[in-house]
Amino acid sequence: MSFDEKAARPIAELVAAGESVDALYAELLRAFETERGGVRSDDALKTFRDRWLGRKNGLLSATNDQWLKLAPRELKPQVGKLQNETRKRVEGDLASLQETLAAAGRKRKAIDVTLPGPRRDLGARHPVRLVLEECIEIFGSLGYSVAEGPEIEKFFYNFEALNFPPDHPAVDEMDTLFVTDDTLLRTHTSPNQIRIMEAIEPPLRYVVHGKVYRNDAPDATHSPMFHQLEVFAVSESTTLGDLKGTLEYFAERFFGKGTKTRLRPSFFPFTEPSAEMDVTCPFCAGRGCRICKQTGWIEVLGCGMIDPNVLRSAGLDPDRYQGFAAGFGLDRFAMLKYDINDISLLYNGDVRFLRQFR
Amino acid sequence: MRALVSWLQDFVEIPESPAQLAAALTLAGMAVDTVETVDGEAVLELDITSNRPDAANHLGLAREIAAIFGRPLKRPKIELVEDVRPAADFARIEIDAEDLCARYVGRVLLGVEVKPSPDWLRRRLELCGTRSINNIADLTNYVLLECGHPTHAFDLNTLNDRRIVVRRAAAGEAMRTLDGLERKLTPEDLVIADAYHPVALAGIMGGLESEISDSTRDVLIEAAWFEPGPVRRTSRRLSLHTEASYRFARGADIEAAPWAADRIAALLGRLSPGAVLQGRLDVYPRRREALRVDLRADRFRRVIGVDLSVDSMRAVLERLDFHCFYAGGETLSVEIPSHRLDVEREIDLIEEVARVHGYDHVPSTLPTIGRPLRPAPHVAEEGLVRETLRALGYDETIGYAFQSAEEAEMFGAWPAIPLRNPFSELAAVMRTSSAPTMLQAIAHNVHRNETNVKLAELGRLYRRDHDDFSEPPVLTLGATGDVRPADLREPAKELDFYDLKADVEALLRRFDLAQIQFDDQDTPAHYIGGCSARVQTERGTVAYLGEVDPQITEKRKIRQPVFLAEIFLDKLYEAGLRRPQHRDLPKAPSVYRDFSLLVPEGIPFGEIRTAIGVMEHLISLEPMEIFRGKQVTEGHYSLLLRARWQQGDQTFTDEQVNAYAEQLTGALDRKLNIQLRG
Repeated sequence: MSFDEKAARPIAELVAAGESVDALYAELLRAFETERGGVRSDDALKTFRDRWLGRKNGLLSATNDQWLKLAPRELKPQVGKLQNETRKRVEGDLASLQETLAAAGRKRKAIDVTLPGPRRDLGARHPVRLVLEECIEIFGSLGYSVAEGPEIEKFFYNFEALNFPPDHPAVDEMDTLFVTDDTLLRTHTSPNQIRIMEAIEPPLRYVVHGKVYRNDAPDATHSPMFHQLEVFAVSESTTLGDLKGTLEYFAERFFGKGTKTRLRPSFFPFTEPSAEMDVTCPFCAGRGCRICKQTGWIEVLGCGMIDPNVLRSAGLDPDRYQGFAAGFGLDRFAMLKYDINDISLLYNGDVRFLRQFR
Repeated sequence: MRALVSWLQDFVEIPESPAQLAAALTLAGMAVDTVETVDGEAVLELDITSNRPDAANHLGLAREIAAIFGRPLKRPKIELVEDVRPAADFARIEIDAEDLCARYVGRVLLGVEVKPSPDWLRRRLELCGTRSINNIADLTNYVLLECGHPTHAFDLNTLNDRRIVVRRAAAGEAMRTLDGLERKLTPEDLVIADAYHPVALAGIMGGLESEISDSTRDVLIEAAWFEPGPVRRTSRRLSLHTEASYRFARGADIEAAPWAADRIAALLGRLSPGAVLQGRLDVYPRRREALRVDLRADRFRRVIGVDLSVDSMRAVLERLDFHCFYAGGETLSVEIPSHRLDVEREIDLIEEVARVHGYDHVPSTLPTIGRPLRPAPHVAEEGLVRETLRALGYDETIGYAFQSAEEAEMFGAWPAIPLRNPFSELAAVMRTSSAPTMLQAIAHNVHRNETNVKLAELGRLYRRDHDDFSEPPVLTLGATGDVRPADLREPAKELDFYDLKADVEALLRRFDLAQIQFDDQDTPAHYIGGCSARVQTERGTVAYLGEVDPQITEKRKIRQPVFLAEIFLDKLYEAGLRRPQHRDLPKAPSVYRDFSLLVPEGIPFGEIRTAIGVMEHLISLEPMEIFRGKQVTEGHYSLLLRARWQQGDQTFTDEQVNAYAEQLTGALDRKLNIQLRG
């Protein structure tokens, strides 16, 4: 008779057939332990639990009903004690078995963490854009608005209104790309000074940027198209000192803390007084190196107070309004900042170049 | 220009080292590029701006140095011993073209000896980069380097009638210049002629026949003043740029002419025997009028932002040879010296004072903010486009705005704007399509073995409507090769139309567009028909995308499929960015049903979607699998379609979903004769 069958019989019957109570419970426990060894999964655990502790058909429910409840008075204490001990034992073992299985489930096989993940690259940002965005952010923090303006520009806005004499060398076809007699590809972003001053009454403060053009065949140092950024401010009281302070702030932000600047008097048709700004070479901190040709200084931009004739061209009274303007090449700044020695790299789309700016 | 420190020291004391001097000059606007020691002599290489021809010589530079350091300027003394014979008896000067020549000064020297220059003269010339020729030619060059005024020496005996006539060249007239070249002249050109023929190109170069030679005995020295414009034009037309033309083209000092002629005559007296005849021949038909400009001290302070006294301003100007008079209050009436052609307005005087006072002494300030800033138009849209491109893995490039006329013709949708003076036929017009720009960039990479490329370019197209030009913004995507390289877990995945379409869709989803429809109609000819799409929205066609015609790529030696998308950003910018809007989250899960459909060939997915149309609670329709094969009825393909429904807070009943499913299959059956597979 299997112990399953035994569990379904009243205890008195079994004792009458020569079984002892102790032996019966010992047999039950041995069977539990044997079966427990085969449980290796959550599913098996559930079946196993149902078999032993199931409320309706579990083995221990059966012994509770047949053995304990039906036990004759004299056997009751002994059966009661053993039934109780066995249930506790089974419950305890099942709990620890469940924990063991759960722990095994949480365990992971070690992997080679040095293998590369599949590559997912962000697109690269163009170095000219990087420089532009940095400049816009810096001037934005000083309250400068941003505009771009047309690339196909009127002769008037590009030259005449900016106080270029008619026979200035830049006006020549050698330097400027013309569309018609009075239309050309802008050679600088300065026409927007006029366009903006015509449209908006000062005080105003603007960053203008975009593509500009020169009649140059492309090579390592020339490009027929490049990018310029220009800032200008006009009010009733904007001074050369304001220009200086603004550019010093810009230079420290852009070229790094401790960058010193100097303004050298220079000459441009559209500013008076005019100046060029040098910064202490960011590569050698002014000590002298290959990039600054041992001078410690790098020329970075042209600037000045907007010429009264330019203000007048834009319809402003130069006795009332005054302002400054400064302009520079974004390509040159990018080339300086990232040590790029060939301007054509900026325009040929070479991904080996571009991906250095991811 | 090159300047010798020792020569400058003839005119002003310079205790500073050459490096200190260079720094001071640079900060005053006379940029010193290099300081070198050549043969024991400190030589400065300067970059003098084109508005300051007066400073591009030793005396002018010394005047700047004197002003910067506040030291006296010592002008050279001219010690001239004249012969009793009057010069007017030996030569005659006439100016015909008074509009082009305002002054002509001549000095006549007889019995000179042409020979090599002494060492001191040769040395100075050579250190300044000028070749020594003979004593007379050298002296004209020396005086040019000294005071900046160009002069010329004629062999007097070669001049017919010993006459100088300053006139326009006759049409068809020609002359041989000193460089030996025959020059064809026009009436635009000013010449110095003798009684019959041109003997010099005025202000540019002398003639070969009147050149000083070893046999020259009698000399006419010319010191004149020519209008800048004509000199510049003639010199440009003949591509003949000389020291003289450089200076006349920028404006010489009309009052310096007699001084220069006398200086040469006096120096020649020390280098050669001979007689300087009595009197200058000075024809001066258009006298320079003295110019006075007022400088208001408060105006200076307002523009520069430096609190300088009116006396300090006067001191600076006086040091630069400007004569100042007090004109009441804090205003100076300033007489502009004849050598300063660049100064004619109050602002020019303000610059002079500020420059010599020193920009480094201007206090740095920041302007006060007057009004809120205006962001650039479409800056937010452009920013999100760039952000999306970056996330999608496109490297941003920048392409030229030009293309060849053939490219424009082939790729563009409207006539291109030609450039009048293109630097190359390959860049003869403004681009009307960005496709060739991108193809060129892709070819550049493929030719360098970079075969997996995803590039994006944000630029403009250029268009002319009568007198109006427009520059609509365009975004171009170019992609070729593997969209994903092979790795440990998966093989490489070659980029196809749908990869590009997914990127275009991701971009379009950022904009506030209600309808986005792809079809294969009317795509530009550079795409493969049937493998390219047009994207239409309520704003019209916003994009084209697809595989580029292999004929076009092969011509560029690209032997792999290339995909392009051209996205017309102006349309997207008009639509504006999609604005995120919160809706309550669904409390009940969505349900889906899969439909295995038998679709007659030729019905694209877009039509199936349209046939189903808008259904209550239907939130998505996804094609899960497309299958063609023997198991499928001929002339059909099998499509596994997953439809998903969702409503706010209620779970669907089976009956509801069954009803939706029937509605869906009913519509497909009725409109497109699509059945469920058995």
